[in-house]
Amino acid sequence: MKQIKKIGFWFLVLFLLILICLPGIWIFISAFRPNPEILAKPANWIPDRWTLHQFTQMFSINGYVSVPAFKYLMNSIIISSVSTVIAITIGMMGGYAFARFNFKGKNKIFLSLMLARAVPGISLSLPLFILFAKLGIINTSFGVILVYVAMNVPFTIWLTDGFFRQIPKEMSEVARTDGCTRFQAFWNVELPLAGPGIGAAAIFAFLLSWNEYALASIITRTVHSKTLPIGMMDYLDEFTINWAGMCAIAVVMIIPALILTFIVQKHLVSGLTFGGVKG
Amino acid sequence: MAKVELKNLTKKYGDVVAVQNMDLTIPHNEFLVLVGPSGCGKSTTLRMIAGLEEISGGEIYIGDQKVNEKDPKDRNVSMVFQNYALYPHMTVEENLGFSLKIAKVNPDEIETKVKDAVSILGLEDLRKRKPSQLSGGQRQRVAMGRAIVRRPDAFLFDEPLSNLDAKLRTQMRTEIKKLHQKLKTTVIYVTHDQVEAMTLADRIIIMKDGFIEQIGSPIEVFNNPVNVFVATFIGSPPMNIIACEINKSNDQIMIQLDKDIHVHCPEDKISKLANLKKVIVGIRAEDIVPIKNISNEQNTLWTFSKEIDLAEPLGTETQLFFKLQNQEIISRMYNPRPVDVGENINFQIEKNKIHFFDYETQKAI
Repeated sequence: MKQIKKIGFWFLVLFLLILICLPGIWIFISAFRPNPEILAKPANWIPDRWTLHQFTQMFSINGYVSVPAFKYLMNSIIISSVSTVIAITIGMMGGYAFARFNFKGKNKIFLSLMLARAVPGISLSLPLFILFAKLGIINTSFGVILVYVAMNVPFTIWLTDGFFRQIPKEMSEVARTDGCTRFQAFWNVELPLAGPGIGAAAIFAFLLSWNEYALASIITRTVHSKTLPIGMMDYLDEFTINWAGMCAIAVVMIIPALILTFIVQKHLVSGLTFGGVKG
Repeated sequence: MAKVELKNLTKKYGDVVAVQNMDLTIPHNEFLVLVGPSGCGKSTTLRMIAGLEEISGGEIYIGDQKVNEKDPKDRNVSMVFQNYALYPHMTVEENLGFSLKIAKVNPDEIETKVKDAVSILGLEDLRKRKPSQLSGGQRQRVAMGRAIVRRPDAFLFDEPLSNLDAKLRTQMRTEIKKLHQKLKTTVIYVTHDQVEAMTLADRIIIMKDGFIEQIGSPIEVFNNPVNVFVATFIGSPPMNIIACEINKSNDQIMIQLDKDIHVHCPEDKISKLANLKKVIVGIRAEDIVPIKNISNEQNTLWTFSKEIDLAEPLGTETQLFFKLQNQEIISRMYNPRPVDVGENINFQIEKNKIHFFDYETQKAI
């Protein structure tokens, strides 16, 4: 009886898992087959013909370019990386300050940072567009990076604050009596200890930038600054949709994200729950 | 190699005073213990000396230098924390050598100094281990080693033994004492455990609510406590305290220990007690001696008999519990024999072993 219950349970888990993964699996399958087959009714689960056609076109391997995916990929990498490095640097310093120092209005500032996160980004799109247009930074990587840094800093502060709090303050005190300046104590002792957490926060910030669509779709205009999620829309023509191409570019997007998520999944959970209960 | 001097040291947190106008000179090579209940300001004092806590008023000198404004790193003191605070990402070796590395000492010299410390503390086999692979006692030893390698002007210990179990604590206590004798450095040691204070200290400071209650050698504070607080804080079990009325009859001054027990005031205290109505009598448990027959030596002894509420045999002694003025009193019976609850036992107290405290001010008379 117990055995049956157990088997039943695992079947349920498997069923739910397949249900959840289905769209993802469909994207993967569809990226490797011709467009007509995707539209076939009834659905053809196992492609008759596997093809790399969309990928070779996208990356212009045979001289033919459908969508300049390589350029978009580079834009995505540069924008996400630079904005992450900046956001995590600021976030680390901010998080450390919130975790270690007492200053006037500390709680209010922290709360307002969190509230800034609560504002739906898309509601800022129009003012942002006008502002950026006037400043002449519309359709530049710099503009997108600026937006992503602003978006990620409160988040990285919140996460790193939690990780620094986890480290007993005696660590830095003993380092300081051992002859360190405050910065040396931070650099030699507290930073290495918070390292995994900060790494997780960085990857999280990277993923947020990597996947962001709404704001990028307003700020970026041309191949000059478009990121992968925006580039995907190039497959949307007036009368046709190239589903296979879209799926292929989606695969290009998903793979790095998937790898990074696997790396940080442990820290991600601890970091998020940690920040959550801290109050 | 330096003396430490505190002048009028004060620490306030908002309106709350943690340490009040503390004056203290700690000569070179002294083992000084700050002891007191939680929140008495002892740790705060230590942290101010280390430079981890800003001071609200007064001055701190280490050697001949005023260090008020100096960073912890420039004070040349080492601190050992209650939770050890070892660097978890470094091996024992790296932990020990860290301060030297920061000071940019050359690697060969670091190696010899670490080697020295390791052999002093018997950590040879553990050099490559991480703190997580060490037991509590070993961690404590590494924490002390980290303090030793720097050869600081003063060691600061903040309740270093309170995380250890009772047996290890006794052992480490002895080691700390030996270490001090070997290194000959000024030590300032904070604890709430009066046994630690008594066994380790050259001088004890008993603190309460940010004030120094008494300074003296362990024996001094044990034998001549200046007030009721010190009397009950130092010594185990704590000193028996009884508030007694003073009666004058037929030109004699009698102290009422219990309803039916009146005893003569000791000769040398008559002048002081004559004008008082009440007095606090303090007697250590070992001074309340159970005897077979009441002696007639009324000049030097107080004697009475009392029914026993409880007897706790401890092997070398039996602690007898009874009540005077509804206060629980403990007596120590050395050479123990079986005692029944309810048994009437005769006690004698030598008059010169009795402590008197003013009923109002609680100060020693």
